[in-house]
Amino acid sequence: MAEFQWPWQYNFPPFFTIQPNKDTQAKQLEAWCLLVLSYCRHRRQYSLDVTDAQDSPLFHNKKIDRKLPLDAVYTVLEELRKKGNIEWTDPKKRNRCLIMWRTPEEWGKIIYQWVTSNGMNNTVCTTYELVNGDDTTSQEFHGMESWLLTRALQTLQLERKAELMGSEGVKFF
Amino acid sequence: MRRRGVGAGAIAKKKLAEARYKDRGTEIAADQLAQMSKQLETFQKHLEEFATKHKDDIRRNAEFRRQFQEMCAAVGVDPLASGKGFWSEMLGIGDFYYELGVQIVEVCLATKPRNGGLIMLDELRERIAGKSRARQDVSNDDLLRAIKKLKVLGSGFTAIPVGGGRYLVQSVPGELNMDHTTVLQLAEGSGFVSESSIVNKLRWETERAQRVLDHMVKEGLAWVDDQATEGRQYWFPALFPDPAG
Repeated sequence: MAEFQWPWQYNFPPFFTIQPNKDTQAKQLEAWCLLVLSYCRHRRQYSLDVTDAQDSPLFHNKKIDRKLPLDAVYTVLEELRKKGNIEWTDPKKRNRCLIMWRTPEEWGKIIYQWVTSNGMNNTVCTTYELVNGDDTTSQEFHGMESWLLTRALQTLQLERKAELMGSEGVKFF
Repeated sequence: MRRRGVGAGAIAKKKLAEARYKDRGTEIAADQLAQMSKQLETFQKHLEEFATKHKDDIRRNAEFRRQFQEMCAAVGVDPLASGKGFWSEMLGIGDFYYELGVQIVEVCLATKPRNGGLIMLDELRERIAGKSRARQDVSNDDLLRAIKKLKVLGSGFTAIPVGGGRYLVQSVPGELNMDHTTVLQLAEGSGFVSESSIVNKLRWETERAQRVLDHMVKEGLAWVDDQATEGRQYWFPALFPDPAG
């Protein structure tokens, strides 16, 4: 896997302090949201444990000795929740979240494109071979967690492009 | 002894001589003027010939362009003074700076979300060199001239010297006073300042330092960092290198 390209802000010490100027803060949160999503995307990470994440390189730059404080981490994650990119597994505890660096609709489109270009319309396949089979290793959805795959396929089902067969099979049209 | 008075003849003689001197003087002055204007004409003609001959060099070579500008300034010719006329039509000198001005505005606008409207002249030059199709050689001198032209538009473009021949280019109308530029000069190099470093190095009152810093934060030019061991630091994205370019 190629090395992750950190944005310039990651080495800019004030990036780890929530900015008092509201305009600057908006830019800062926007940059944090982008960073969280691209970081998880790079690592093909579909969920995030808040405590673990706070100590991970994502929120802690050891090189410049700066760490995003916990309340700021929550501010960023809540911003992502409003945008529809994360969901708390337990909204009361807020200790773990599901991450969608693409929305289920976007994932649905990508999967359907792949299906069409491989002539798999009107065939049935298992969800396992779709995301874990040898044919899809080069695809972005390879290794996708089943909860997200199910949601993506559901969006296709609404458009009558696919039909879920139980929890393990799917037919594309 | 009878004192001999001045005769009418002598007066007339003197007047005649004076008139002759005067005429001669006018003649000489006119002569000199004619010669001078002839010289100037010749010079201008040569300058124009020179400019036409070296048109490509002037457009391409930054050092050549700077020297040409200086030569023009020495004889009171400003190739940038007007969009029309010999200089711009023959050389496209005006066009050159006009195009450069457009590129400066583009880069300043594109980087404004990051730097709040302040950019190091060196960074500006590198970005313009990076995006220009012709990959022409643009010098800091060219940029400063173009910025001076932009200033006329009242668009808030200013070059602020920060010492060591380095400049910060401001592209936002917000007024920066002497105190602000002094603090920017202090931050140049490390990328940040703190209230205590201002008080220690500039011998300012705390209130004065704080007022300047608050203004920079309010204008979006400075970001605060509360995790430094020495207390709050104020960082300027404009002075912080962006390795991604």
